[in-house]
Amino acid sequence: MLYLFLPVAATVLYSLATEWNSTVLPEGLTLKWFAELYGDPRFLQAFGRSFVLSFLTTVVAVVIIVPAVFSIVVYAPRMEKLVQLFVMLTYAVPGVIMAVGLIRTYSGNGIPMIVITAGAYLVGLLPYLYQGTRNSLLALHARSLMEAAELLGASRWQAFVRIIVPNIMSGIFVSALLSFSILFGEFVLINILVGGRYETLQLYLYNKLSASGHVASAITVTYFVLMAIITSLIVRFTRRSFARKEVS
Amino acid sequence: MSYVQIEHMSKTFHGQHVLKQLDLAIEKGELVTLLGPSGCGKSTLLRILSGLTAPDTGKIYIDGKDVTDVSPKNREIGMVFQSYALFPNLTVSQNIAFGLEMNKVPKADIRLRVQEMIELVGLAGKEQNYPRELSGGQQQRVALARSLVTRPKVLLLDEPLSALDAQIRKNLQKQLRTIQRELNMTTVLVTHDQEEAMAVSDRIYIMNGGRIVQHGSPHEIYTQPHSEFVARFIGNYNVLSAEQLNQIAPNLSMREAAGRFAIRPETFREQPVTEGDICLTGKIAHVSMLGNVTRYELNIGDVSVLVDTLHMSFESEQTGTTKTLYLCPKDVIPLYDTIA
Repeated sequence: MLYLFLPVAATVLYSLATEWNSTVLPEGLTLKWFAELYGDPRFLQAFGRSFVLSFLTTVVAVVIIVPAVFSIVVYAPRMEKLVQLFVMLTYAVPGVIMAVGLIRTYSGNGIPMIVITAGAYLVGLLPYLYQGTRNSLLALHARSLMEAAELLGASRWQAFVRIIVPNIMSGIFVSALLSFSILFGEFVLINILVGGRYETLQLYLYNKLSASGHVASAITVTYFVLMAIITSLIVRFTRRSFARKEVS
Repeated sequence: MSYVQIEHMSKTFHGQHVLKQLDLAIEKGELVTLLGPSGCGKSTLLRILSGLTAPDTGKIYIDGKDVTDVSPKNREIGMVFQSYALFPNLTVSQNIAFGLEMNKVPKADIRLRVQEMIELVGLAGKEQNYPRELSGGQQQRVALARSLVTRPKVLLLDEPLSALDAQIRKNLQKQLRTIQRELNMTTVLVTHDQEEAMAVSDRIYIMNGGRIVQHGSPHEIYTQPHSEFVARFIGNYNVLSAEQLNQIAPNLSMREAAGRFAIRPETFREQPVTEGDICLTGKIAHVSMLGNVTRYELNIGDVSVLVDTLHMSFESEQTGTTKTLYLCPKDVIPLYDTIA
């Protein structure tokens, strides 16, 4: 734990330190690095870009992947093995190789690289959304619920929207938050594919590292706080769905 | 034509014949049970009736209409699943109202009909509860109410009581039968529990290996099994070969040239009733107390038979003692095929 938290504590301290060069502890504490960071329009822009890119990609991924996983788990369970193989494949390709492959395949055909990056992100989210959605559907006995709803006169779409979605919502939400946080911290693909043309928070942090250690620490702390909020939300929703299962 | 008619129904799953050229007829208002061991095809037949599974060949008629290709949502069939399949995000009344909402019934009617159903199944006061807050028996009744409220032509019950305790199961069997009679609802029940089938059915269809092996009233099925499979499945029949029968009752001359014979354990008596009764003497090999019935395993020569007697006296017979019993020749039932 100490090994893990010591650098974090040091980063937090460094982001609040006036000077910390030749002393054991900082010479004084200040919020000026945060003030400087939050006053920098480039930071706000980078933060906004990261947020928009991660949020939109996650939303699109949820809209595409959740119904697809639902169809496979409920109506074509025999295809699951094949799908699982594809899902695992996304882990098998290292980021750098994927980036080079994407550049070779898509550069020069008119599609903006940021869209290509978003597309790659979408595929990258497949394992997280697939597993989360699948587990929720299996725990719910989604197939029997669909059949019951259909026998009561509902169309498949009505049954999906009225019965399945509300019941797997917390599972999807947890997977989506996880996906969002993964994308928010992504650096390799965006750096190679887009670089400075669309500066996200991670790229901004990378650029700031050489300029000011204090500001870079302030960025890191801001990032940690955001991740802590997302994690606590995940924990809250996971607990809630567990509690619901226990009662039933 | 019967109210529900199934003709030449066949179904294959992964090269395995689950249903083989099956025919079945159900009259309006009847409660028919499909009874058989696991894997005999009874649940598949029920799913085909509901439209959730498509048959390979065969036709289904309900109320004179060919519904073989009609989708489940338009088939006017109610179904109670083994797992109940209640919607966890909806309350009891919302669960029951779901089918009416899907069929665009006016709101005022929905309220009235849901209330009626809640009272019919005895769930008043639980309207706003979620399924997870109910006991197994209560959930089962919500599932029943939900499938009945749309006034289906046929109600299908897929082992609806199998997950419940014995006591609750018996109560619900009675309640189910009362409601079914009250609404004159044509009902098909699937079960592997022969006692349950006997208790609630007008008629029983016994299935094995994708075929109907015998059908009839519970009384007919129990007292006149046609095959060794039915005799063994429906009760604790003693099934004896002709030689074994000859060994325990040499004076009995059976007219039928059957290969095997079935004798119900409770038909052995301690006193002769008619003049032609056969006298059997054997040694008690084992005694088990089954509550109101005492079951003996009696060795007559090399042949072992089960004997059930009502548990009347305070003292039970001891293992090893010799016992004389009487059997009426008409209680020896010839069987015409071997186990399927």
